[in-house]
Amino acid sequence: MPPGRVEANLALEHAARANSGIRLMLIAVVAVPLLLALSGLAVRYAAFASVSADPSLAAYVRALCRWDCKWYVDISEQGYERFPIPNRNNIGRWGFFPLYPMLVAAIRSVLPFPTIVIATMASVACGYASCLVAWPLLEKNMRAYVLYCAFLLSGPFSFYFATFLTEPLFVLVTSCLFLALRRSNYLAAGLSCALLSATRLVGVLAVVAIVIRMFEEHRQKGGSAIAFPRWLLSRPDLIIAILISPAGLFAYMLFLHVTVGDGFAFAHVQRAFGRVAGNPLLFVWDGLSYHPNPGWLPTAPQWSAMAAIAGLALAGMLAVRRQYGAALFCALALILPLTTNLASMVRYAVGLAPLTMLAACLLSASRLTFAAAVIALPVACYFMTVAWLGGYLALV
Amino acid sequence: MPWFEPTRSARPALLLGGYGLAAALAAAELAILALALNPNVNDDYRAYYIDKTTTCLNRDAVGRYTPGRTVSFRSDGAREATAMMVCGWSGPVADGTHSLGETSRLRLALPSPPGDGLLAVLQMAAVIRPPQLSQRVVISASGIRLKQATLSGPAPTTVSFAIPRAAVPSTGMLEMEFDYPDGIAQSPAASKIYNRSIKLLSFRLDAL
Repeated sequence: MPPGRVEANLALEHAARANSGIRLMLIAVVAVPLLLALSGLAVRYAAFASVSADPSLAAYVRALCRWDCKWYVDISEQGYERFPIPNRNNIGRWGFFPLYPMLVAAIRSVLPFPTIVIATMASVACGYASCLVAWPLLEKNMRAYVLYCAFLLSGPFSFYFATFLTEPLFVLVTSCLFLALRRSNYLAAGLSCALLSATRLVGVLAVVAIVIRMFEEHRQKGGSAIAFPRWLLSRPDLIIAILISPAGLFAYMLFLHVTVGDGFAFAHVQRAFGRVAGNPLLFVWDGLSYHPNPGWLPTAPQWSAMAAIAGLALAGMLAVRRQYGAALFCALALILPLTTNLASMVRYAVGLAPLTMLAACLLSASRLTFAAAVIALPVACYFMTVAWLGGYLALV
Repeated sequence: MPWFEPTRSARPALLLGGYGLAAALAAAELAILALALNPNVNDDYRAYYIDKTTTCLNRDAVGRYTPGRTVSFRSDGAREATAMMVCGWSGPVADGTHSLGETSRLRLALPSPPGDGLLAVLQMAAVIRPPQLSQRVVISASGIRLKQATLSGPAPTTVSFAIPRAAVPSTGMLEMEFDYPDGIAQSPAASKIYNRSIKLLSFRLDAL
């Protein structure tokens, strides 16, 4: 065989091997979250069956729907109240943002299942999609990817991603936003931010990550800091991306103004939940020092305070890694609810995708921590699901 | 040249369109913000949610009541008692109806306005947390102060006072307000809407 043909054959062989390697990797990327979603379902169901007299799947889906989940079911089925609120109630549903309940209502209009069943399926689908979007964000690091998927789909807080709460959609859209930023697709990032701001109030804070990424790009191109506003004003596409970011929030405000007469009803209604503005540091300190009974197990306020500290520490680590936009977004998204109290702090920290991705990267750095985490996550899933079903206050 | 790159002649039009869209977005958001800063709500909503001048959100509760009967504010009288409660109450439960916040209100429709006024007899108990061992409660109707009582210790106290004819509107709708100057907060950082002051156990009116 002539030497030219041998070289061509070898090149073809290399290409074929590379192709099959890519194919295997793609199969792994798709299959890993699928398997972990199934294993998470099995573990959570086992936890449910251990505490419930009715082991049916319908009862399982209903049992996971606790705390805020019930508000979202009501919004999805009945929408928002006007004022006065019926049944002599102080608390309107206005504090719960509309995008996810609307999405579930839209799916319900074509599928003949109860709201909570559709929401559960949608949440798991969002969790799965979040994993796929995270693959490029995790630098295609398979170990970090496995840990991240395990955390979302079969980890200790996977029940948040298996019932009707906003976290599944919030994590998915946050991941899309940061992927768009990574590709300098600002319009896609702005649209993601608009969706995020209609999912949870703190979603609107992602606009700071968008502006910071624009600034970084401007600096990379050799622009000075002082020239940034001028550069920004010369790019209408960037201005549109920024201005469209809070569109979801503004649309909701307009809706509230038309129906309730108060565009800030989502904030004002917090009074009926007993939330009062205060110093976040004092709330954290009060939480940490709350241990009225003997014993070494931390109390619910202590867990909440520790979640806030861990979240802020991870945000600090993001800043150290020069991911300033993600760091600032996550820090603000934790500090804003902290200005009222520690309620739901564990859930808020878990729902910040950049933080959990960083945690997955850190734990995957060594084989030992990776192996320990892979074993610990589903075990913790079992016990935390039991705690969630039991109404443990720190998990609210 | 890629298809998405505009030609030189199309660029100014695209820029103009971009700025126009940005201006439209900014204008829409400013308009919504202006609307939100000027809420169009009734006085009850404004007082409770916006101005925060009350912890008791008024609502259209009215209980029918004929003088001469005692209404239990424990679990056994839940149906009748609940109808009279406007706001600032929690319960009824076994040991009575607990006050919530700085003010509670009862509203009841009498069959007819009383001729010479009414005698109110209320059984109440203080919510105490040492070192605080007593609670003051100020009762008024139609803006007329009727009684200030000091409840000491956890045992129920009977409080009686006269309600003058002037405190009952000609419609026969009696609205009683209970103010608690010494309410106990759940914690130093907790909202006042959760303040605890008294437990109302029973309520009775008699014609004078």
